[in-house]
This record gives sequence, structure tokens and C-alpha cells, in this order.
Amino acid sequence: MTQENLHVDTLVVGGGIAGMQSALDLADQGFRVALVEKEASIGGKMIALSKVFPTLDCCSCITTPKMSAVAHHENIDLLTYCEIGAIHENGGGFVADVTKKPRYVNEADCTGCRQCEYACPIDLPNAFDMDLGAMRAIRVPFSTAVPQKAVLDIENCILCGKCEQTCPVNCIDFTQQPEQFQIEADAIVLATGFGLTPTDAKKEYGAGQLLNVVDALTVERLLAPTGPYGHVLRPSDGKEPDSIAYVQCAGSRDTTLGVEYCSRVCCMYAIKQAMLLSGALPLADITIYYMDIRTFGKGYEQFYQNARAMGIEFVKGKVARITEDDDKNPVVRVELIDEGSQIVERAHDMIVLSVGMVPGYNPQAIYGVPIDASDGFIEIPSPNIAPTVTNHEGIFATGTAVSPMDIVDSIVMAGAAAAETAAYLQSRNGHSYKLPISGSMEMEVAHV
Amino acid sequence: MSEKEEPRVGVYTCHCGGNISDVVRCERVMTALKKLDNVVVSRTDMSMCSDAGQAMVEADIAEYGLNRIVIGACSPSLHEQTFRGTVARAGLNPYLYHHVGIREQNSWVHKDDREGATQKAIRLMAAGIAKARLLDPLEPIRLSAKRHALIIGGGIAGLRAAWDIARRGIQVTLIEKSPFLGGHMAQLESVFPTGEAARGTLHDLIDKVTGHPNVTIHTRAELVGMSGYVGDYQATIRQQSRGIKEGFTGIDKLIENCPLEVPDEFNYGLTKRKAIYTAYPGCYPPTPAVDWENCNKCGDCLKSLNGERGLISLENEPHDFDLTVGAVVVATGFRLYEPAQGEYGYGEFPEVITLAQLIRLLALNGEKELVWNGRTVHNLAFIHCVGSRQIDGINEPQPDGQVNNYCSRVCCTATLHAANELRERFPAINLYDFYEDIRTYGRGHEEYYTEASKNMVRFLRFHDDELPRVTPDPYANGTGALLVTAKDYLTWGQEIDAPVDLVVLATGVMPNPIDDIIKLLKVSPGTDRFLLEVHPKLRPVETAVPGVVLAGTAQGPMNIQESCAAASAAAAKVAVLLGQGRVELEPFVAHVDPDRCDGTGECVTVCAYEDAIILAGVNGATKAVVTPANCAGCGSCVSACPNQAIDLQGWSLSQYEAMLDAIASDSLPVVA
Amino acid sequence: METKPKILILATLSGGYAGADSVGQLHANYPSNAYILPVVCPSMFSESFYLRAFERGIDGILLMYSGTDCPFKGGAERTAQIVNKTFPLMKEKGIDPRRLRLVAICTVCTKPFLKEVNQMNDLLRGIGPVKMEMAHAVIGD
Repeated sequence: MTQENLHVDTLVVGGGIAGMQSALDLADQGFRVALVEKEASIGGKMIALSKVFPTLDCCSCITTPKMSAVAHHENIDLLTYCEIGAIHENGGGFVADVTKKPRYVNEADCTGCRQCEYACPIDLPNAFDMDLGAMRAIRVPFSTAVPQKAVLDIENCILCGKCEQTCPVNCIDFTQQPEQFQIEADAIVLATGFGLTPTDAKKEYGAGQLLNVVDALTVERLLAPTGPYGHVLRPSDGKEPDSIAYVQCAGSRDTTLGVEYCSRVCCMYAIKQAMLLSGALPLADITIYYMDIRTFGKGYEQFYQNARAMGIEFVKGKVARITEDDDKNPVVRVELIDEGSQIVERAHDMIVLSVGMVPGYNPQAIYGVPIDASDGFIEIPSPNIAPTVTNHEGIFATGTAVSPMDIVDSIVMAGAAAAETAAYLQSRNGHSYKLPISGSMEMEVAHV
Repeated sequence: MSEKEEPRVGVYTCHCGGNISDVVRCERVMTALKKLDNVVVSRTDMSMCSDAGQAMVEADIAEYGLNRIVIGACSPSLHEQTFRGTVARAGLNPYLYHHVGIREQNSWVHKDDREGATQKAIRLMAAGIAKARLLDPLEPIRLSAKRHALIIGGGIAGLRAAWDIARRGIQVTLIEKSPFLGGHMAQLESVFPTGEAARGTLHDLIDKVTGHPNVTIHTRAELVGMSGYVGDYQATIRQQSRGIKEGFTGIDKLIENCPLEVPDEFNYGLTKRKAIYTAYPGCYPPTPAVDWENCNKCGDCLKSLNGERGLISLENEPHDFDLTVGAVVVATGFRLYEPAQGEYGYGEFPEVITLAQLIRLLALNGEKELVWNGRTVHNLAFIHCVGSRQIDGINEPQPDGQVNNYCSRVCCTATLHAANELRERFPAINLYDFYEDIRTYGRGHEEYYTEASKNMVRFLRFHDDELPRVTPDPYANGTGALLVTAKDYLTWGQEIDAPVDLVVLATGVMPNPIDDIIKLLKVSPGTDRFLLEVHPKLRPVETAVPGVVLAGTAQGPMNIQESCAAASAAAAKVAVLLGQGRVELEPFVAHVDPDRCDGTGECVTVCAYEDAIILAGVNGATKAVVTPANCAGCGSCVSACPNQAIDLQGWSLSQYEAMLDAIASDSLPVVA
Repeated sequence: METKPKILILATLSGGYAGADSVGQLHANYPSNAYILPVVCPSMFSESFYLRAFERGIDGILLMYSGTDCPFKGGAERTAQIVNKTFPLMKEKGIDPRRLRLVAICTVCTKPFLKEVNQMNDLLRGIGPVKMEMAHAVIGD
């Protein structure tokens, strides 16, 4: 089945939490939305997290209902595994050239039964699990993926045909080609998200070569109920770590990396992980080396104070260097500000780098939306009064495409982008997009 | 409920391409179910969710006159909606469909027990059929919604929400308690992170809002009454007189004539104003207002006024008016923490002021030197976290016992912004900054910290259990200068005495006292006393009361950008709710059988939702009456009723009992 | 006639039912004599509902509710109250109160789900059918 051209009110680019929320808030108002996601499932970075601060809700419980709502919404066309190659201006509106990448699986027929996955003989490092554990060359991207459709990684496929023989609905198609189609839209919402500081960015921290120095997203997978091991184990020898340290601002507030800004989420996620780790490993000592603890959001300061009360050690000091000893234990060299600024070396079993948020995507070339030269995120000309309006009329931006922010702030800002977009659409078209409502019966309601 | 037609059930067992049928013997399930009462059609299919599978159901409904459909397949979370759509397309009420999960909860978890899984599938499906027999057709609860929103609060959040809602073609009434719009933002000058002029930005928005045909604004107006439910709230607004009618021209003369002088709240008491006043030059509305608390009706203002006398009345005649609105936006904003008498010397030494006062002082001071109390300031200390991040046992509780244990979010960057401005305008001042953690978290905020460091602001870091002390400087010799003393952990924990001429307290953010509004709207504050959202991620701007949403700092400390984003998000929710002029809710709510109800009121007692169930006279007898719009559908009332007179539509107790019987029964038709 | 104990699991849509789906996605194994019914909130069931279930021959009931994540005001508390009031009534009828158990299960609480089902199954295998227990109680055994 080939993808037909679409004509919608708004094109939302990015299926992470911000894009999903913007799409839902627009679709619920009766606007037609096309949500384009480059990966095979929506959910973004959020769906990979274990639990989320400050409520410690399981992340899946928050994300999956939104994913499912996007997939089932009558006003949303969900287009996964698609990339936008060009945008043309069209009398004030836009036409997007979209490429649907081949899944090598007939999406309409696949039931997500995973028989192909069980049959596939190829084991690859599991990208969803930060390369911990294994995944097959053909797979449903992860257990809660939306859509629940298999995707074949042709680069790593040996074309053995086992999946094709196993598939009960004959939906494997090795001949699939990229498909081109167009989406016409009156407005665009960019929700292209963020990247993470590469773990090899800082040579003082071992440049990614120290086995027991991991980044925080890896720990999220270790802690997740759907994670690869079901335990927290350190990479070098699979031992349960007794002493874990967090190095804050590993990629933020660090001009040697060209990053002056604060990534805004790392204090809270480190504290959250520390709490979860002390639950998973009750005997482990957990230390957080920090410059300033920035627990500024609603309920965050109380969260921090709870962590202190639980016995998590907070040490003010910038970690200058991480090395490792003969047992592969990472060793931090740190100035203990609160203890007379003495410089000490301390060994831990495992170190977690609280890596920062970096720009994930530059929309200048395709969308003509400039980024701010100082931080690389999308430029917003009036950030106070119009935090989602870009320099390009009809194009709005939200979530971490605009700056580092946490999930709560992303969701609120996604609502703001939807409001701004809706008002823009209405001003352009001068009508109020009333949804047809089935039936006309109004229930008798008791007045109180 | 209406008389039921004879159930004619169609039941389908999905193979799910082997996912189910590799374990469950689907043909046996199909045959077994055929024997059950009311089952007219029982089939299996490789994939029920495929177009072919759905078409088969539609055809069977038409051919066999089926009026209940049961499908056993994957989890209902995946395809229940799909099949509701299928039966609706065939002309059946979608709530006459029942979905049974036999994949995630059967075939996938009993791979080694094919016989057990098959038996279980039969029982679960039989239970589904038992429920289906008792299903009633339901309609979504459709309420007509007044396309009109009430916004409480005329600060930046209320204004921003008004603008976004009005642009969606929805009427907006904005009420503001004070005589002027703009809230705290009007009192700011240059704001981070852009350095733009606060009132410039604010007035651009005020002009748009006040110029919009969908917006009505009432200043000096408060909510005093509220009833109804989402889509149809009746609000009563009380408006105080302004004292001066619009169109009055002799404003300057009028104000000049007033002999009374009272502290000017706009400048946080640094200056005085008259009892007839405007907030600031260029404020909206431009017409002055009489300050009823302070005006003694001396009538001096009227002197030398001739023709326009009739435009002035020194009698406050509050009047009430009613408004029907579909939704309410609470944008009641914040107040600043008022330090206790003697807290860091506040109220004790005149040289201790708040950051808000410093910002006004900088706006009023056009000199080359910063002058306070007639003396040039050479040394100035900021102290952070005054009224924020308080710890029980270390910080004195407020008079009502409250301890502000949260971060106020805006003070760090605002303080550093002020420090940088001081440095720029008065390069000779020594600046000290006493802090616990510097929280310049937002985009463009860290730059203020970097700049302050470059600007030779001396940072001193104290611990939360060793707060700085402010005392008179014994060497100042009666000139009023102070000492700020603290252990500085940036310099080996040594005790530092900073001699200063002015201490500036970065006071925290607290919600405005809105107990009346909280009671009227039945919304809840959290332990921090800010209003509580349903869930910070799932429904971050909605309250537990349908149709009541939150905008800005009523919910928690926020800066201007965050307030605007929250207000717009709230506006989006209002547009979703009211845009179509009608609200649709799921019909899974409590339903009373008046024949069985004898008005014990047990259901009312147990119900946690305001006005969801009441006792009312129905045909001369007291009966429970449910307002579906207020019912959350939890079913607590069902277990409370001694007469089984109340039940949950779509999930009724009798349906559960029927399902339970099917599962417990020893005599299911089992085909070997 | 089957001899396995019958376990009824009443699982909330926002918690235990979704948790059971997650167990399914993991393709984990648990006894097939556990029957799961979705509920909005178990606060709708009174003591008599549970007693009736035991009388009908349900050997054990696991109430998998949403605990502190309950989306309804007071729903979790009321459920717990009713369950607590049910225990003495069960004892009166000679029913082992361990046959009814209230547990909080989240949408991805796969391990606790499996633990609870297996524990209940082991318990019921040990103490035998509820009908026999009730019959013994009646004859004063």
C-alpha cells in the first residue's frame, strides 16, 4: 500500500513527548495533524526512561497512553519511519517532501506478533537499551512501541529468509523501496528534540574509554522494569556496584566543551536515579558531585531534601578528572569545596556522567528556521511573551528543540505551541474548525 | 433502563496469526462457545483486526441481526476502539461491543499449557458473553458548552490566556481584583533573559487583549459565587466602583487635589501616592481609581472641577452580576514573601530591603550614585532564598505555621540581573552575593551568572543550617551601616563579615491568598499552598474540577516565559473543551434505579466528588440524583448502596456477577 | 472436572490490567487458572461481592488496584476499607482470609505481578478448595 499525499492543517515534526502533546492538543481542537517521526516508533527519548521525577511514576504509564492516543486519534495521521527532505512554501502554507523509509515489512498486514523476531538468527547490540543486551535484525522496536509493527534493519540482515518463512501473515517484503509523498500543511510545529553530550566528549573524563563510566541514559535502562538485565550491574565485570558516584554538569556549564548553559534536568535525574539505585542496591553508597543543585521546579526541592535524608551523599566540587585503577574502578579527582577545598582522589565501583542536553537538529536548511549561534537551539525572537514562535511565519517550535527542559515543561510548552498554532490557523482561515459531531441528542442533566 | 431486547450474540476468536492459535485451540473455543445461550454466531479468524475480519463482523450483524458482539483477541488497549468502530459502522451502538483479551493475558503467558490456555480462553470468553448479554446501549454524555471562558486575574498569565482563547473565537471575560491590569510584571523594568522593557512587552499584549472583540474586562472585580458544572458554570462577579467614570479628563488636577498620602504599593512602599491614583503612567485602564480603604471622602478632589463633576462619585457601590461560562482559568498569581520582623534585620534596620524594592529603587533613581536613605551606597549584599527552601526547625515558620520548603525559581536569575545592572550603572559599588546554590537554569540565564562573576560580584556560599546574620556594624559609628556575617564555604568555611550600606533580600514567591476562590471553585491547593494540577505530566494545567484550568504562578513559581507558556497551554485546554460548543464525556458514570432507591444517602456520603450525587425530591420521594458531568465513574457509591439501586453504566455489578458465575461455573460446555 | 484452584484477578485498567498486559509482552509464564477481569476501580465491590465469589467456588481473589496512583479521589482508601471489613466476615464463614489479597500493581510491575499470582496459587494449592473449607466450617470441623 503506498502512502498517499496528505493535506492537513498542521505538520508536527517529531514524535517525542513534545510533538505528541502538541499533536494531541491540536487534534483535540479539531485540526487535522500529520505527525512525522523519523524512528520506527513514536515515544522519543522519554519512553526509554525508567521512572520520572518528581512523582516517581513509571515512565511507561505516562508515555504509553499518549502514544496510544496519538495512534488512535481520528484527526492525526501518524507517519513513522519517515523523513522530511524539503519544505516548499506554498502561498503562505507549506508542502513537505517526505520519504517513507522501507521497513521491509508490510505495515498494513503486520500484527506485531514478533514471530519474525524470534526466528531471526542475528543478534545486535540493542540500541533502545543503550547497546546493553541484544536485539534482532528484524524486530518490533521495543515492547511498548507504537505502532506495534516490525522493522527490518537491512544493513545487518543476512537475507536468510527465516523471518519471511515464519511470518504468519506474509508481510515481510525484501523488495520494499523508499516511498516519496507530500504533506501539505498550513502550519508546522517543530518538536525535533535534543541530543545528549557524547560520552567521549571530555577527555578528562576518560573520553568514553573507561568501562565503568557510563552515562545517565544507560542507567535509566538498567533501572527500567523492561531493562536488559533486570539488575543494576557494572559493565566491566557484571558485578553489583557498592559505590556509585554521579558527576554533575558532565557536558553542561562547561566552556571547554563550548556549552555555557545549564541542561536543567541533570540535577533532578541524578537525584532520582540515586534514589532508585538505593532501592535496587540497598547497601550501595551513592555520591553526587555537583557545582550547584538546581532543583527549581514544583516539588523538586522537597525531592532533593528527601534524597539527602535518605543518606545520598551530596558533595560540592567540580570533578577535574576521572581515571581508573587496576581493578577498573574509576577514580575521581575532585576539589571538596565544603572541606577546605582540599583536592582528593576517590575510587568508586561505577561512575555515572550526568550528561547534558545538546541541540538535536538544525532546522535552518530545510525549514529556514535559524538557530541561536550561542547555544545551537532554535532561535525564538520573543522568548518571554511568545516562547514557541520562531522567526519563520507559520512555523512554531516546542520542547527541547528550543532549549533544555524537563518533561513537565516540555508538555506545558507543547500545549502552548498548540494554542499558538491554532490561533494562527484560525487567523489565516477565518473559521473555527468545528468538528462534525455524530448524533444530536443531548442528555438531560440534573441541575444542582 | 429500557426493556432489553433478546440478546443475539456474535462471538469471534482471533488466531492473531498464530499468536493466539499456536497455544489456544481456537476451533475448540469456537465450538464450545456456540453452545452458550444467546450465541447466534461463533467464528474464528486469522486476524480479526484486518479489514477482512472486520468486514465479516459487519456482514454477520446485517445477516443474523446480531445485537451484541464479543471478540477475543489482543489486549483491549490495542483494538477495543477499533472494534467499537466496526460495530458502529454496522449500525449497532458501539457500547454493545465487548472485548476479551486472550493474547497478552492468555496465549502469551501459558505457552507450556495449551489445554489450560484453551480452557481459560473458553471461560474468559464465556464471561465476556455473560457480560455482553447485560450490556445496554449507551450514549456519550453530551453537554452543551457555553463558548465563554472566565479568567480570574489580569496579570501576564491571565492576559496571555485571554489572548489565546479569544483568538479561537471563544468569548472571554477577564476579571481583575485591583483597579489596573498588568500584575507584578508592570512593576518590573528590564527582564531576563532578553533585557526587554517589561511594560513595553506587557502593553503590547494589553493592547491586543483589550482591542479584541471577544474580550470583556472588569477591573476591581472578584468572583463571589459559583455553581454548575463544566460547560455551564454560573459565576457571580462583584465589582467595586471605580469612583471616576471613563472619559474624565482632569486627572492630574483631581489627583493633585487629594490631600491624603498613602504608601504606593506599585513601588513597594518606597514612595507615596494619593487616595485617588493610577498605578503608573500609561497604565490600563488610564482612568484613575478611588482607593476606598483610604479615601475619607473629604471632597477636596472635587474642588475646582466644574463640568465633569458628574463623572465622579465618592460612594463605593459594589454591584453583582451573573455570567454563564463553560470554563474557568485561574490566573490569580503570586505575592512575595514578606520577611518576618527581624529576619535578616528586615523591619529592624532601614537598610534592609527586598529585591522587588531594589528594582523599583533602580527605576526611580536617576542619579550617578545609588542613594538609599539619603546616603550613597558603597557596599551592597544580596541574600538569596529568603522565604524559599526553608527548613523546618531552622527557619522560623510563618504566623500560620507554614514553612516554604520549595525553591522560588525566579530569584537567582533576577538577583544576578539586578547585580549586573548595578555594576553597569554604579561601577564603584562593592557587591556581595550570599547564596546556597545558584540556580540559573533557563535558556540565557547562566550568562547572567557568568557576567556577574566577571563583574567582580563577590559570591559567598552558606549552608542551609548556618544562615547569614545581619547586625549593626560596631565600627560604623551610628551611620547606620550593617554587617552581614556568614561562613563562606567557597573560602574554606571561614567566617566573613561584609560591611554593607544596603542589604537586599531575594524574597520568594508565594501564592496569592485565594481561599475564597478555592472554596468557590472546589479546587485544591497542594502542601506548598499553590494550586494543584491533576498530574504534572498527564494533565499539567488542569485541576480535578472539570473545566477549571490553571495559568501561571497560581500553580507554582514561574518566570514570565513559563507563565506565558502555561497560560497558552491552559488556553489550548479551554479551546479543546469549548471550541465545539459542546462537551462529550464517556458514559461510564453512576446511574440510579429510582424504583430501588429509598434515599438513604449512603452514596452521597461516600462520593468524593462535589455535586456528583445529591438527594432530591423526585415525585414526592427522596431519591439519589446523579449529575453525570460531575461523576468520575469510580463506583464507590455502588458498594455503598444497601439496596443495589445505584450502578455504574458499562461496568455494572450485575455484569460482574454474571462474569464471575461464568468463571466459577463447573459446567461450562467443554469440547474435548 | 478440573482440580486446579480458581484465582480471580480483578485488575484496574490504570494499573493491574495494564500490568498484566506487560507480563504478556514479556511472554513470561504463570498458572493458567488465573482469570483476569478489568475493573475501573474496585471500590465498587462491597464485602458481599467477595463472599459471593467464594461461595460460588472462586478459591482466591487478587485485587490488583492502582494504590497511590489511583486516578479516583478516595478510591484506593475505600477499596482498602472494604477489603479490611471483608476479612472478619470471611473468618465467620470459615474462609481463610489469605484467599483475598489487595496489592498495588503498576502498568509495568511485571515482577510483582508474577510473584503475587504464583504466591496465591501456591497458597491455594496448600489450603485446598474454598468450597471444602466452607463445608468444614458448616459442620464445625
